[in-house]
Amino acid sequence: MSTRILVVDDEPQILQALGTTLRGAGYEIETAETGEDALVKAKVRPPDGVILDLVLPGMSGVEVCRELRGWSDAAVLVLSVVGDEPEKVAALDAGADDYVTKPFGMDELLARLRAALRRAQPETEPVLRMGDLEIDFDKQAVRSRGELLQLTPHEFRLLRLFALNQGKLLTHRKILSDVWGAAYQTESHYLHVYVSQLRRKIEPDPARPRYLLTETGVGYRFVVPKS
Amino acid sequence: MNSVDIRFKRQSVALVASAAAVALVTGAIFALDSFAPVLSLGVLYVFAVLPIAVVFGLAYALLVSVASMLAFNWFFLAPTHTFRLSDGENWIALAVYLVTALVVSALAARSRAREAEAERRAHEATLLAGVAGSLLESDHVQNELRGISARVAEALGVERARIELDSVRRPEPGESALELRAGERGIGRLFVDSQPDPEVAESVTTSLASLLAVALDRERLGRRAVEAEALRRSDAIKTAILRAVSHDLRSPLTAIRTATEGLESTSLELSESDRAELLATIDTETRRLDHLVANLLDLSRLELGAAEPKPELWTVETLVGQALSELGARAERVDVELAPDLGPVEVDGVQIERVLVNLIDNALKFSPDAPVDVVGEQQNGAVAVRIVDHGPGLSDGELERVFEPFEQGRVPSRGSGLGLAIAKGFAQANGARLEAESPKSGGATFVLLLPSTR
Repeated sequence: MSTRILVVDDEPQILQALGTTLRGAGYEIETAETGEDALVKAKVRPPDGVILDLVLPGMSGVEVCRELRGWSDAAVLVLSVVGDEPEKVAALDAGADDYVTKPFGMDELLARLRAALRRAQPETEPVLRMGDLEIDFDKQAVRSRGELLQLTPHEFRLLRLFALNQGKLLTHRKILSDVWGAAYQTESHYLHVYVSQLRRKIEPDPARPRYLLTETGVGYRFVVPKS
Repeated sequence: MNSVDIRFKRQSVALVASAAAVALVTGAIFALDSFAPVLSLGVLYVFAVLPIAVVFGLAYALLVSVASMLAFNWFFLAPTHTFRLSDGENWIALAVYLVTALVVSALAARSRAREAEAERRAHEATLLAGVAGSLLESDHVQNELRGISARVAEALGVERARIELDSVRRPEPGESALELRAGERGIGRLFVDSQPDPEVAESVTTSLASLLAVALDRERLGRRAVEAEALRRSDAIKTAILRAVSHDLRSPLTAIRTATEGLESTSLELSESDRAELLATIDTETRRLDHLVANLLDLSRLELGAAEPKPELWTVETLVGQALSELGARAERVDVELAPDLGPVEVDGVQIERVLVNLIDNALKFSPDAPVDVVGEQQNGAVAVRIVDHGPGLSDGELERVFEPFEQGRVPSRGSGLGLAIAKGFAQANGARLEAESPKSGGATFVLLLPSTR
């Protein structure tokens, strides 16, 4: 059974271009032009993933996201425009998994979609190897090229959260509530400085991060460098 | 407490003090009676008259003088316990005392009044200096009225004062209104909760009204100048945006259309490499359009004042790193050198990232073959980030104009000349400073001073 994707956008050209490309990539596609229509279609035939434009006539993308999250655990990828960080953050907080900014490249969209469709990895293996990094969950030890790194407990929890969500966008709110607790979820003020400290320990060149990428104004994403 | 109560209380205090003064001196004369001829002791009543004249004024001094003479006559001059005098000479002595007392008290009261006047003038001068100062420092007279009212209340000796500009409101019960007029021009009204001394009130309101008149005029002129400047600027921006839309948007569109038609054409014989080149053109030109639209959006957001920064703590390393990753492969030519002790900066990460991207992008454009240096160091309570290129540098005239929108500068380029204007705008919105330098050693240097929390 192939993976079903529901594409929601009020621009016919974008629906068409996305439909063609996604079909070419092996997905089964359904389209909707309004949020209301999308919710009906998602109820009738639950999709595995939803690609959702934030700007829609009638019901907004953020509202669709919130409604959908009430009864569906489909991966949601939102489409937004440059500079509209607050709307993006609202959609992510309403349950979207990730976003791409218009105009986006197809490669980027497909990569984000794949990552969103993949669920967070359960912590099965005691030791996780990613690039030059090696994380030992049992012993709470992190090595870079075999060399032991000195991480504070918060830094370790931060890194563990990132490592278990490779390729996924984690919003400031999500990171803060997972690592520091729900009471801290709006205290993004100091988060950047903590991430910066973690980077100095795990990145070979902290000014050109390869593992821990900033999505300015939205959150962070942990990736495994290609080579 | 209202003014009638205050006046009544003051009168009672003065009467009691006067009576006490006379009684005290009378007592003293009784005590000294056995040591000196009583007639020579009458002069001691001056010590009752003088303090009363100084503290309560001439009227009470007169009262004390007369009361003293009567008391002296009654208690000490034969026949005692009558107001009659057996010795005719004593009449002369009494008259001399009375005249002396009157002259002394008149002099004392006058010097006291002068001193009070000088004190009042000094108070008034302090008040007016304070008012003038706060009006000069502020662009909005209205915002200063509360502070000025408090000072005026203090100067008038009333509990509450309230200035209302252009007001014709009638005073409410328990309140009185003083007109503020500068010459013929009505400025407004001063409402006070009790009746102040009319002389003080007159001089304070006159000076206050003329100060307010000057400040209001200044505010009006200033506003007009700002409006004119905004209009001029927005005209220049509109023209420039039209130019950008017509030229800078059309040329990539033309290139894309030519390329797609070339690819679709059946009459053309294209090799594999030709097709690849046309596809690459479409890709490049689309990115260029995207970049231009983003810049136009940023600029209009800045022009509209809609770029409200959301300050958070960031390390410069993160911001520079983010800018470099945004620039992609071109950023490989950038050498980053950040001092290890850089404190975090409190800025809007998204906006400062735009500033850095635009500055580094500009530097890369103007030194196409040489490396670009990004150097960060702590500098007098700020973090200075220098973006150094090895291009042709800037002339003095260019140094001045380089941050103006649509200023192309130096060699003709493919940019729209918006990047540096946007960088400057976002820097200012974040309380950061952005300056251009053209060192003798060559190239151009842009210095971004970010507010440090250290």
